[in-house]
Amino acid sequence: MAQAPKEYSIVGKQTPRIDAYERVTGQAQYTGDLQLPGMLYARVLRSNVPHAKIISIDTSKAEKLPGVKAVIHHENAKVPWSSGGHTHRRYIFNNPVRYVGDPVAAVAATDRHIAEDALKLIDVKYEKIPHVLDANEALKPDAPKIAPNGNLSVGKGAFSAPIEESWGDIEQGFKDADRVFEDTYITKHVNNAQLERRVSIAKWDAGKLTVYASTQGVSNARTDIAKDFALPLSKVRVVCKYMGGGFGNKNQAQDYDYMAAMLAKVAAQPVKLEFTREDDYIGMHGRWASEQHYKVGVKNDGTITAVSLDAVTNMGAYRKQSGNLSGTDFYNIPNFKKVIKPVHTNTVVAANYRAPAYPQSVFGFASFLDQVAFELGVNPLDMFMRNRAQKSKGKLPFTSNYLEQCILEGSKRIGFSEKWHKPGATAGPVKHGIGMALGGYPFRPGLGAATIRVNPDGTAHVLVGVTDIGTGAKSTMAIIASEALGIPLNQIQLTNGDTDVTPYSVGESGSRTTAFTGPAVVAAAEDVRKQIFALASAPMKSKPEELDLRDGQVFRKADSAQRIALGQIVKDSGDLIGRATTNPNFPKEMDGKCFSAHFAEVEVDTWTGHVRITRYVAAHDSGAILNRLTAESQIKGGVVQGIGMAFSEELLIDKVTAIPINPNYRDAKVPTHLETPEVEVIFVEHYDPYGVFGGKVVGEPPITAAVATIANAIFNATGKRFKELPITPDKIVRAVQV
Amino acid sequence: MKSFENIDVKSVREAVSLLQKFHQQKKSAAVVGGGSEYLQLMKDHVVEPDYLINLKSIPGLDYIKEERGGFRIGALAKLVEIEEHPAVREKLLILSSAAGEAASPQIRNAGTIAGNLCQRPFCWYFRSSNFTCLRKGGQVCYTVTGDGRFHAILGAGPSYIVHPSDTAPALVALGAQIKIAGPTGEKMIPLEKFFVLPSVDYKRENILNPAEIVTEIFVPTPKAGSKGFYHKVRERLAWDHAIVAVATIVESSGSVVRAARVVMGGVAPIPWRAAKAEEFLRGKRIDEATAKQAGEIALEGAKPLKDNVYKVKMAQDLIQRGLLASA
Ligand SMILES: Cc1cc2nc3c(=O)[nH]c(=O)nc-3n(C[C@H](O)[C@H](O)[C@H](O)COP(=O)(O)OP(=O)(O)OC[C@H]3O[C@@H](n4cnc5c(N)ncnc54)[C@H](O)[C@@H]3O)c2cc1C
Repeated sequence: MAQAPKEYSIVGKQTPRIDAYERVTGQAQYTGDLQLPGMLYARVLRSNVPHAKIISIDTSKAEKLPGVKAVIHHENAKVPWSSGGHTHRRYIFNNPVRYVGDPVAAVAATDRHIAEDALKLIDVKYEKIPHVLDANEALKPDAPKIAPNGNLSVGKGAFSAPIEESWGDIEQGFKDADRVFEDTYITKHVNNAQLERRVSIAKWDAGKLTVYASTQGVSNARTDIAKDFALPLSKVRVVCKYMGGGFGNKNQAQDYDYMAAMLAKVAAQPVKLEFTREDDYIGMHGRWASEQHYKVGVKNDGTITAVSLDAVTNMGAYRKQSGNLSGTDFYNIPNFKKVIKPVHTNTVVAANYRAPAYPQSVFGFASFLDQVAFELGVNPLDMFMRNRAQKSKGKLPFTSNYLEQCILEGSKRIGFSEKWHKPGATAGPVKHGIGMALGGYPFRPGLGAATIRVNPDGTAHVLVGVTDIGTGAKSTMAIIASEALGIPLNQIQLTNGDTDVTPYSVGESGSRTTAFTGPAVVAAAEDVRKQIFALASAPMKSKPEELDLRDGQVFRKADSAQRIALGQIVKDSGDLIGRATTNPNFPKEMDGKCFSAHFAEVEVDTWTGHVRITRYVAAHDSGAILNRLTAESQIKGGVVQGIGMAFSEELLIDKVTAIPINPNYRDAKVPTHLETPEVEVIFVEHYDPYGVFGGKVVGEPPITAAVATIANAIFNATGKRFKELPITPDKIVRAVQV
Repeated sequence: MKSFENIDVKSVREAVSLLQKFHQQKKSAAVVGGGSEYLQLMKDHVVEPDYLINLKSIPGLDYIKEERGGFRIGALAKLVEIEEHPAVREKLLILSSAAGEAASPQIRNAGTIAGNLCQRPFCWYFRSSNFTCLRKGGQVCYTVTGDGRFHAILGAGPSYIVHPSDTAPALVALGAQIKIAGPTGEKMIPLEKFFVLPSVDYKRENILNPAEIVTEIFVPTPKAGSKGFYHKVRERLAWDHAIVAVATIVESSGSVVRAARVVMGGVAPIPWRAAKAEEFLRGKRIDEATAKQAGEIALEGAKPLKDNVYKVKMAQDLIQRGLLASA
């Protein structure tokens, strides 16, 4: 196992979040808590028909309501929303409207209730257009056309369609197989359901726009806004200090930021635009639903010879992101072919949600492999071990790969071999089951920036553009700075998330925060350390390269007893400033990935259809762990989201009216503590040479294997294979009856 | 939320006379206890009353008193108080469990027993301001063409809601009575007669007239030799209504059933008493076979929608389980 080059003082320990106190005492000011003088409140009117031309929109009554200050809609606010759609131009208000929930107008008023009342006074006349809700129906030649090019979502570059990938020789692969299996797995649209509803506050000062956003990326939000409002970057400021979660649906700037900006411009007053929970469920996006058709060739011992995947993914009315399915990434597949068709329908938009292309396809593929193992009479543990990924895409080596250890340690912890039994073997109505699946997420470093200021008393300011979306990113950045500088954590002040003050950050999504901005913090620390050692050289009577800095003390490497406090050294130097913009990468002929093996034991009550998870073990290869406390929380949180997706969450749309019927926590059934077992987390730690302090990524991977793990445990309990999510009590009761 | 006026009343009489006044003036008004259910409907623009009459300001209406023959529970007693009351726990276990299985701890801390019995349906079509359904004055019950997976299999049509209360089936099984105050005074009626089937009136769930409120529940203490059981099935262990719930009470002498009560929640627009199954059980010994048969009898006549066929078997199994646990 590759070893870390040295002992760390704070990296790898359990460190509480630096802003934990503010968050739990309610002192943290989230975007929704901010109040600006003269601020108005805004609400959004949405289409209640799935597909229609707006013939007329009469806002006169709404405008006359006392307290209403601005009403905007597609005629008077034709603002493009570039990142909102990649197959055809999307505006903040569209005509035609393409799904129930498409914004039609927004109102700013002196209070929230007036804004809501005003929405009801807006008279919209629609001319209905035929609509389609089902992705397969949408692909038929006579289906109503949602995008100009039709319903196969064809955009440019990364958004071309179908998404195709292949290697090896698929025909030969199936010829080499002893047996070939085929089946179809179905997953549904689930909402990100982050706790903080969307909110945006915009104000204009002499042509400069400031947006207090609830965003996962202040820099990319600024870029989007500047582009779509045709402003120079210097005239746009985006701020997000405390962020209440997004799981991928708050990256970049979104239509509500633009609406707030337009309303603020029209009203010439600051505007706070808030989403209701229903707005949040239907007005932004959730995870793309999918229908995955697999064909798998195997040897009699379970060894995969070929896999083909044909799938459709339902992207809703606009294509914001890829629609890909990548759950096959964690297996060794010599011959592979996939064709995925992202499809437009007149439904709520689907786009990024934590590990976008994974949990739904890991559910499909790992369930299917488990089924194939069953039919071959191979134990699932052997099946997954035998076929685990050893090379990327059949050929590239990984920067590091400890998937085997994840499988070994996790299965040992839960006692998989001893506890696994023939599916459905437990007598009586309450059945025990155990299951497993493999997951992970790509890891890659990239562009980041950081500034570090060492104050005359030896304390330091660290400036980074990152927002902390709940991962503990602020703390991670401060820990990296503390370690790299040699200054204790409590002497570091972190400033984040303000494009006027902090440098570039890629956006806190795709598990990129630590991997992209982390190296910049290290480099900025090295930059300022050089300046410190140059200053210390004279009083320490040493060459700069003979000096080191730890715990706020500059000392001679050769004799650590010779030391001077940093504050002494820099006291007359004004501020020392270290800075860095870094863009590390690994060689082209390599690939980076995190891996995980998850294991669950369940009890299925076949009378009530209730499933209780009695034990859950999550073993992860994330490289070295920078902060065990927040890293473990990430794993637990991801598993909980997987539980919701496995058991209950699904956005339901009424077939006749096309109106979503459960767009809220109560009816969409996000899990509670009672559904959530204690998740036992194992980190198979090792030093990845391309990660900051040897770390790979933590945020996205934990949700990937959870759904399939639970589904496979339910199979082991009941002997019934559930091929469609979510696995609700009614489905279980129906399945065990027959 | 539409603006409204809140009135803190000091007595039941004041509440009733205000209700009467507003009714005569054709103003909309509603009473609230904890407000945990009703305020949500207001926020979602499903109801928009001109006046809210806050009953919580009435002193002393939150009692739980044990008397000879039974318990008197004031309308404002909270679910959590009923759940945790030692004597209720000891003598009315199914009520205590039903109260404890309702909603979530936060809601149980605010929600009152009267509010729980009078809560409006939790049907997703009813709760959404996007649908003007039959019960809200529209033309159709959307469940018929739409998604009725959580809806009624018994006693339904033309509306397919299920009664959402957990305490109601337990209280009906216990033979509780409900006290109603109105302009002409108070009356006490069997709780079973409180609820209204949609075939009688699909716009209401109970018999309360516009100027009437609930003031008390009386629960007789079960006879010696009685054993009860409350079991609730749902997708989520908190913050979720029953898919199917079953309250059973069996009074036996020796191992022979003298009287049994079987009441279901989550399957009908009212707490559904399985009278035929109760009759069947009288004089029998409860074993796997009788319990199973009682379940089958209880579900005779069930007319599931396309999405909720599963409830039939689930309810049968639960009754079987409940009876075996109560024997
Ligand atoms: C998310 C959620 C989940 C829930 N899950 C469950 C569940 O699983 N099981 C369950 O049983 N309940 C459930 N409930 C309902 C909950 O139990 C009720 O909200 C609560 O009991 C109502 O009590 P309250 O005092 O707050 O009622 P309020 O909200 O004050 O009133 C509710 C209704 O009763 C009427 N009312 C109140 N008091 C009186 C009175 N004295 N006389 C006449 N009418 C009156 C009101 O006019 C109103 O129509 C849930 C509620 C929510 C919001």
